[in-house]
Amino acid sequence: MIKFDNVAKIYQDDFAALQDINLEIKAGEFISIVGQSGAGKSTILKLIYAEENPTEGQIFFNEKPLDSVSRKHISEHRRNIGTVFQDFKLLPKKTAFENVAYALEVCGISVEEILEDVPQILEIVGLGDRQTKFPHELSGGEQQRVALARALIHKPLVIIADEPTGNLDPVSSLEIMQLLLKINKLGTTVILASHDRDIVNKAAKRVVVLEKGKIICDDVKGKYKIC
Amino acid sequence: MFLVIGRTIKEGWSNFFRNGYLSVAAVSVMLLSLFAVSSVFIIALTANSVLKNMQEKVNVSVFFKSSVPEESILKAKRDLENYNEVKTVEYVNKDQALENFKKNSANEPVIIQSLEEIGDNPLLSYLVIRANNSNQYDLIGEYLENTSFKEDISRVNYGKNKEVINRLNNIVSEVRKIGLGLAGFFSAISFLIIFNTVRITIYTHRKEVEVMRLVGASNIYIRLPFLFEGIIYGVTASMISMLLLFIALKFTVPFTERLIPGVNIISLYFSNFAMIFGMQILIGSFLGMLSSWFAIRKYLKI
Repeated sequence: MIKFDNVAKIYQDDFAALQDINLEIKAGEFISIVGQSGAGKSTILKLIYAEENPTEGQIFFNEKPLDSVSRKHISEHRRNIGTVFQDFKLLPKKTAFENVAYALEVCGISVEEILEDVPQILEIVGLGDRQTKFPHELSGGEQQRVALARALIHKPLVIIADEPTGNLDPVSSLEIMQLLLKINKLGTTVILASHDRDIVNKAAKRVVVLEKGKIICDDVKGKYKIC
Repeated sequence: MFLVIGRTIKEGWSNFFRNGYLSVAAVSVMLLSLFAVSSVFIIALTANSVLKNMQEKVNVSVFFKSSVPEESILKAKRDLENYNEVKTVEYVNKDQALENFKKNSANEPVIIQSLEEIGDNPLLSYLVIRANNSNQYDLIGEYLENTSFKEDISRVNYGKNKEVINRLNNIVSEVRKIGLGLAGFFSAISFLIIFNTVRITIYTHRKEVEVMRLVGASNIYIRLPFLFEGIIYGVTASMISMLLLFIALKFTVPFTERLIPGVNIISLYFSNFAMIFGMQILIGSFLGMLSSWFAIRKYLKI
């Protein structure tokens, strides 16, 4: 489903964030990308949702090379992907409901559908009674669940979670992780970048270890370890 | 399409109200700028109306010899009315001239008395010519020099008014230049201030723009509500500015009435209401929109 073919990302001053990346992610997989800060985890994710372009090599999404997607159509590509971040990235002036609804509005979904789907998904992530709250009125764990609901609402093919538990307490982290596993069970591909050892080990899924921009280990039923 | 427009309006309004402090700041800055430009405009209108009043008082009187029959004078009147430069020609016959003279000299019994002593009406019939524009009196003077009824004319009091007319012409052109210069100056300042304010407003939204892009919003979808918000700034500022302008004029009426009798700035405000309001809305919303367009461009790059 997603394929990295000899990908390298080199920033200015010849700093290589990624080098020789060959990676294939199959539909329905749960994959954890681990490594220290600066290892290149976030860069891999950014390349998938086309926030960055590779300096060398090619990335395929559903067998389509991403460099063939024009700037104008990037927004459509991103609608295939749901994203969850460490800092939640919610719109501060919108309520929980409106934040989730926004992801549907940009796809041109009708008001009736929005009014039906959004409360449902908020119920699933356990925020049925917090819909009218603004992000600053919610706890970190609740904000991340809103972000997760937003990532899921338009039924994306892939969920990309970049350190989703980085700002959360252990209990909230566990809840978010369980939600991600549940989502994966229902068929959505999940790509998780994390340096939280416990969380990754709990998943007991495929682990890719990055070090200084290179894949040094790719273990199908892996644990967070330095190979 | 309708869905996008509807959502744009909804988003724009919601942004405007939920970013209370920022919206107030942006509208205030725009308000001050529009108010300054409109004030200059009102001053220019007042000056124009004063000048018009003065121009209307300027005229050329052509006195006919007492031997000239009325028909010839009326024919001359028709002739003169055919010229484009001539706005009106008024015929004042001997008797009317005497009556006017008596009325004007009512406080001077000596003059009235001497008139009675003469017994006969010593005054001449005359035509009062008003030009469309005060700088056209020279041309009218030329016509009179070359006209077919030149022999019938006793005198033209053009000479007396000549200096006043010239001075008036100079004042008109100076006032216009100064007015234009001031309006241009204020518009330039307003443009810069409004542009920067909107830029700062959007700068505070840059993280949101990033999030919108991440959830798959197209650039135009992100941009439209911001443009609409820019228009709301402009329209709101224009409305408040019109109200403030009215209040300011109401306060200055007693002074201006003393200073320039015959010009009512409140009625000037109302007779030009549509134009001033339209100009403000146009400038305000156009600047708001343009500033938003440029400011947001930076954050829409990949």
